[in-house]
Amino acid sequence: MSIHFAFARTRAAMLLALSAAMLTPATAVHAQQAAVSISVKGHHFQPAEIHAPANRPLAITVKNLDATPMEFESVSLRVEKVVAAGSEGVVNVRALAPGRYEFFDDFHQETRGTLVVQ
Amino acid sequence: MSIFNVTTGAPFRVLLAAAAAAILTTTTAARAQNESAFHELETKYIFGSFTFGSSTGLEGEKAIEPDTEANFGKRSGRYAAGETELELEHTPNQYVEIELGPTFSYYNISSVPGLDNRNMGGINGVEGTFRFLLVEPGPSRFAATLSIGPEFHSLDETSGDSVWNYGLETRIEADTELIKNRLYLAFNLFYEPETTTQVVGGSFGESTIGASSALAFQIFPGVAIGVDVWYLRHYDGLGFNSFTGDALFVGPTLFWKIAPKVLLSTAWEAQVAGHEAGVTSALDLEDFSRQRAKLLLEFEF
Repeated sequence: MSIHFAFARTRAAMLLALSAAMLTPATAVHAQQAAVSISVKGHHFQPAEIHAPANRPLAITVKNLDATPMEFESVSLRVEKVVAAGSEGVVNVRALAPGRYEFFDDFHQETRGTLVVQ
Repeated sequence: MSIFNVTTGAPFRVLLAAAAAAILTTTTAARAQNESAFHELETKYIFGSFTFGSSTGLEGEKAIEPDTEANFGKRSGRYAAGETELELEHTPNQYVEIELGPTFSYYNISSVPGLDNRNMGGINGVEGTFRFLLVEPGPSRFAATLSIGPEFHSLDETSGDSVWNYGLETRIEADTELIKNRLYLAFNLFYEPETTTQVVGGSFGESTIGASSALAFQIFPGVAIGVDVWYLRHYDGLGFNSFTGDALFVGPTLFWKIAPKVLLSTAWEAQVAGHEAGVTSALDLEDFSRQRAKLLLEFEF
């Protein structure tokens, strides 16, 4: 009985340690990741300039409020993502050095904005 | 180290005139353009695609790329050989790009010493390329990428003979932006060891090393013109066992982003200097061709 109890306790401790090990990196990464949000309406980014901290991964939520699809794209961020009409998408970007990064809607090339990383 | 015999014939003078005209045109055009109309370019193909820029694409990007290289002219006779790779390109993340596709070759050879007369085409193996971003473009705007390209060919690239040929095209592709969104400079280092087994018997190794530099100027939004210079050395053996010749190629380049998802990259180069081991004539027309051209189209989907 006591052997079974000890084994169950050991197994519970191992599971707890394993869970902690698996969750810790994810939680740490999540804590480091900054988040910004931007909308597209009337084929204009709102706001046209967004800000984010340097040297932290970034999640950009793009809300497409137009009735046509858009493609969020950036050469310097090295990302592209199609966002359907009336929906939103998340673009994950690596940690960035300070600077200005252009982005645009590849389906409507005149729709442009800037990410300022400080 | 060989001493170049620079050819002073008509092709070289035409190249110089073209370069001068390009510089004049670009200077004038640069003054006339509204700077805000010029946006960032992915640099991989803006140098004409003999020399590559460092860009590894955008995460999630997929494209089909017919990529053709043609070679023209040997010491005598009529020589034309080309290879088209039908590449499927994918960028799985912000640091890596993968290309893979079959190749097709065609030959029109007549009265060239050492080569059989041949007028034929056919499927010629498969090529892959794995590109890894080594240096990210930071405030200095300098970036570098390592490119490793394993290849298999069933037809000899020069002669069209049936062979089993394996190669590993390895490059360092670096670039920087000299004027924001307008003027770009690239450097490539190149090393390709190859081993070939002939169907009729016998096998041999060879290797080519080289370096290039290219300038590209975005003359209109989405259009870049430039000049590319390549220096190549060829050896028998995989480890530079025996030097057989070297060549200097120079020529103009053109990049055109035709539509948001379609681009064209092309270059034409002439061998303006070179030396073949044991031969007194100018140029190395045994290991390299008199002229070469590149035409690449990209269709993103």
